[in-house]
Amino acid sequence: MPDPFDLTAGWIEQHALVPLLYQFGWMRWEDLSYGWALFAVYGAVQVAFTYAICLPLERWRPLERWPDRDAVGVDMLYTIISRVGVLPLVTFVGFYQAQVALNGWMTDQGWVPPTLEGLFPFLLGRQVVTFFLYAVILDCADYWRHRLSHMIGWWYALHSVHHAQRQMTFWSDDRNHILDDLIAFFWFMAIGLMIGIPPMQFPLLVLLLRFIESLSHANVRLNFGWLGDRLVVSPRFHRLHHGIRAAGRRSCNYGAVLPWWDMLFRTADFSDEYAPTGDPSAGEGMATGSYLTQQLEGLRRLTGLRPG
Amino acid sequence: MRLIIRLLLLCALVASTVRPAAATGLAFVVNSRSASVSLIDMTKLVELRRIPVLREPHHLVLSPDGKYLLVGDTVGNEMFFLDPTTGEVKRRLPVADPYQIGFSPNGKMLVVNGLARDQIDVYDAASMKLVKRFAIASMPSHLAFSPDSGKVYVSLQGSNRLVAIDLVRLVVIWDVPVGSTPAGVLWNRGHILVADMGTDYVAEVDPADGRVVNRIRTGNGAHQLFASPDGRLIYVNNRAAGTITVLDAATLAAERTYHVPGGPDDLAFAPDGKIWITCRFAEKIAILDPSSGQLQTVAVGTQPHGIFLNAAAP
Repeated sequence: MPDPFDLTAGWIEQHALVPLLYQFGWMRWEDLSYGWALFAVYGAVQVAFTYAICLPLERWRPLERWPDRDAVGVDMLYTIISRVGVLPLVTFVGFYQAQVALNGWMTDQGWVPPTLEGLFPFLLGRQVVTFFLYAVILDCADYWRHRLSHMIGWWYALHSVHHAQRQMTFWSDDRNHILDDLIAFFWFMAIGLMIGIPPMQFPLLVLLLRFIESLSHANVRLNFGWLGDRLVVSPRFHRLHHGIRAAGRRSCNYGAVLPWWDMLFRTADFSDEYAPTGDPSAGEGMATGSYLTQQLEGLRRLTGLRPG
Repeated sequence: MRLIIRLLLLCALVASTVRPAAATGLAFVVNSRSASVSLIDMTKLVELRRIPVLREPHHLVLSPDGKYLLVGDTVGNEMFFLDPTTGEVKRRLPVADPYQIGFSPNGKMLVVNGLARDQIDVYDAASMKLVKRFAIASMPSHLAFSPDSGKVYVSLQGSNRLVAIDLVRLVVIWDVPVGSTPAGVLWNRGHILVADMGTDYVAEVDPADGRVVNRIRTGNGAHQLFASPDGRLIYVNNRAAGTITVLDAATLAAERTYHVPGGPDDLAFAPDGKIWITCRFAEKIAILDPSSGQLQTVAVGTQPHGIFLNAAAP
């Protein structure tokens, strides 16, 4: 069955990127540019899909109504930058180069980075199962990254950009300080060196996982029932993490897609409440400022110029 | 007990990947993005099945004894050894970043270009032991051997250079600029031809010192070169132009140009005279009838790259 993402990226590559690269003498990056095109296509579809589902949900059962949505506009910018625009390009090139450099060094030491299929040969050819195993492991790793970002003071100074939002919507998922994103990038790179990188042939599954993350931030009165809330992170579950009382170093519900890690490590809170969101310790600039203001506020808080 | 479990796992693996082929002639197409190898019935022109590999395979080469088809999985850091008549995975071996791979004409050496890791590895073909690694920047991509197997010439796609390595003394002989983005390399009648992806020409290089002696215009983004089975013609694919230019191997004069949409990349020659071409951006291979210029297509996986035809496969 043809992969529409791949075909779209291929069309962009053939008709836009290759001519551009050729024109500017950058043909050495031709292979890499296809990867970026694919990332951008995935990102655009993710944004469109999330928008198409979450917006009606937010209008149907909104938790909060605001007189203006200026703060939401900045979150939209974060999403576009993060999923479609500059960040995929930087991340892709950066990840590629860093992975190559690190893997090359590791290989020189006699260590070929393993894969799950290498460790468990029966997984070879079972790409969907392998993908889910990677997704579970990476979700666990993300739980600990997230939990540490709350426990370590300087790290939370950056992460508070994500928590400062008082008008939380499905757009808020990508609202992060760029250094926080960078740490996440290195975090997953380290994991990748230990267990390899997952097969990337399942854009629809990636899309589904990212959708769950976006939905969990939505301004909607929604949970998945007793069992459902314990299987997948719901908007109610994640909102408790963003609640004013939970902001800062002692929070709950750190899971991004699976609540299992919160249950396992005793940080789960399944209370039936929808708390107001925000971080009282964050300044107004971090909550409602422009993209640049929020980034600068994060830096100021990190360097101690602004207490938090 | 462990042995039994391993045997069971092995059986499960083999059962999941191998079914008897029922074709007259098999084409092997490496799907880089799908992490698989498509097996195509060359008579019926249908995809029979896909052999899974790890992450991102690119190229493949037949072992000198014809027993194995080696598929390099660059991101998976593994070499897969397939049975060239059935596609069965016979062996797997950890190999760092196997991008372009090639056996020397005498069959003694295997050269593995690590494009991502800026390395050229020389293996003893019989034992698959690494004999020497050359750390050379940047992006070693394509390769060609001298007919006496004494030297290998590797294009450095990330720089503007071509490097010559002496496979007897295992030293770099020369490393010189030949164009803006050197890609495909081919030995042709005492010279080396290098396709320059950054421009629209093929450079003719003196193997003694790497000096460019001639430039032949083909098309924008000249990428890879292939000699026809009779040695009379050279096919050059032009990535940016979306064309294949045919050169007379003796005079290097352009004879004909074919338009092949979808990012033409590697190609292979079938016994019936047709040319099988992977189309990187279109999830298909194109089968070109060089006499009429007509194209047939067969759907494969995503990002098809390397291709190998075994017309003798049952």
